[in-house]
Amino acid sequence: MILTMEALSFVRQGRAILSNATAVISDHALTCLVGPNAAGKTTLLRILSGELRATSGRFLVGNTDASALSQREIARYFSIIPQGVQPPPHLTVSELVALGRFPPNRALWWRLSEQDREVIHACLARCQIEQLSKQRVEDLSGGEQQRAWLAFGLAQGKTFLLLDETLDGLDIFAKRSFFQLLKEVASEGEGVLLTTHDLDLVTNFADRVVVLSSGRVSYEGPPNLNLQHLFFPASSRD
Amino acid sequence: MKRVPLVVGALALLLVLGVLIGVALGPVKIDAHRLISAILLHGDSADHVLIWDLRMPRVVAALLVGSCLGVAGCLLQSATRNPIGDPQLFGLGGGAAIVQALAMAGLLRMGAWGLVVLSVVASLVGAGAIALFASRQGMSPARLALIGISLSALAAAAATGILAEARVFSQQSLNFVGGSFVNRGWRDLLPALPFFGIGLVLALPVVGKLNALALGDRLSANLGAEPIRTRAVAIASSGILGGAAVAVAGLVGFVGLMVPHLARLLVGHDIRTVFIVSIPLGAVITLYADQVARLVFVPSEIPVGLVTALVGAPLMIYVARRVL
Repeated sequence: MILTMEALSFVRQGRAILSNATAVISDHALTCLVGPNAAGKTTLLRILSGELRATSGRFLVGNTDASALSQREIARYFSIIPQGVQPPPHLTVSELVALGRFPPNRALWWRLSEQDREVIHACLARCQIEQLSKQRVEDLSGGEQQRAWLAFGLAQGKTFLLLDETLDGLDIFAKRSFFQLLKEVASEGEGVLLTTHDLDLVTNFADRVVVLSSGRVSYEGPPNLNLQHLFFPASSRD
Repeated sequence: MKRVPLVVGALALLLVLGVLIGVALGPVKIDAHRLISAILLHGDSADHVLIWDLRMPRVVAALLVGSCLGVAGCLLQSATRNPIGDPQLFGLGGGAAIVQALAMAGLLRMGAWGLVVLSVVASLVGAGAIALFASRQGMSPARLALIGISLSALAAAAATGILAEARVFSQQSLNFVGGSFVNRGWRDLLPALPFFGIGLVLALPVVGKLNALALGDRLSANLGAEPIRTRAVAIASSGILGGAAVAVAGLVGFVGLMVPHLARLLVGHDIRTVFIVSIPLGAVITLYADQVARLVFVPSEIPVGLVTALVGAPLMIYVARRVL
């Protein structure tokens, strides 16, 4: 399935945060959204997840105009993992992943079905954290926590995963390992859209790159060129 | 989850025992034979009046108020993701306290039904303010607690001022500020019953969604839990229950705060089970606290809030040090 953004703009208090952002994200691919701070990366993800409404433009999931849907309807397509999420202190890894199977319409009588349990087990296995399932999320290392959140996102069984700078604060080994994992997840079917500043890892692992600069998409394509050049245009280098 | 039937069963036994203590013991001694006769047989005997018109309504009032406060605390703590969420600490009972103070001062003249309705409405105003603040982006649990405590202090000051200005008899004021079931009859109790039902029924559709709310607004919205609506309904329900409780017994402290924590210690963190267990747990704690309040210093009594504070303070210190 293809996610198509068509001329998305977002204006807040007279300031253009996004200007005519146009890009295509596909499933089975790891797409990295890069750009300097305040380039509009988080805003774009919040529009895609239905938290914010674009001032103009639209985005389609397949042939469906998702930007016209309610936040709850949009959520059928996207799992989000925001930056800096603090899990409740008591929550274990398996409980967190189980919340990914949360059915809002029958929340009161919700019991995990056998199918839910299989999905949870499979997601823990995909993220290589089965042995951590009984541990509290807050007791895990940064890298393990990210894997737990990823398993939570995967358990929702949605087409696209949106990860907002979830790698901040991790060491290079944990980041590399997580990128590898995202690459595997994407190759198995989900479309992964990750905002990040780690250009070297993006070059090594991403299938596609979307570069945002001052709210505009300045590049969209494979990561086979000098990303630094796009990040820091000639006028601002030196 | 597996422990829930065990805990509920144990609480049911404690409830039965507490009710027996509540109706059998008191300044007027009554033996088992007379007690059974008074309970089972109708009549105008002194024993029948003592049991059915004095002791039983007081027992039911304690059960009702305890359940209301326990559930209100559970909903408020979950909806605001705040471990110190309590209908009285957060000012939800403040509006009801002002209404009751005005009535005690003779400045508000209406029947029991009118007073309960007005108390609930006033409590809902406080609930609306908390729901509004809680839904603002970037409102941390700590900041929300500061706002709630400020609202609560303001309402308590207003209620105390009204009582002081009207020179309400000090024992009556003390019973109100500390919470008491002295002289509570069916007439005081019955108007609060519908609000107990309304508060519970209103909360039922959102209780399960509160589990998702624990992950924060962005994630819970992405899970389809509608955080703003869910929070508003839960806080409104908490306000209704808190207002009804204040209308019956005044300001019984610590119950709304400690019951959800104790429930979590007993049955874990699934809010649905905490919600269910908070009903009998709040009732048991308040019922036994009232027995201590009325029996230990016979023939005089102390406000029930003093007893709940004696139990609640050490428990909350334990929770703060070991659990949170």
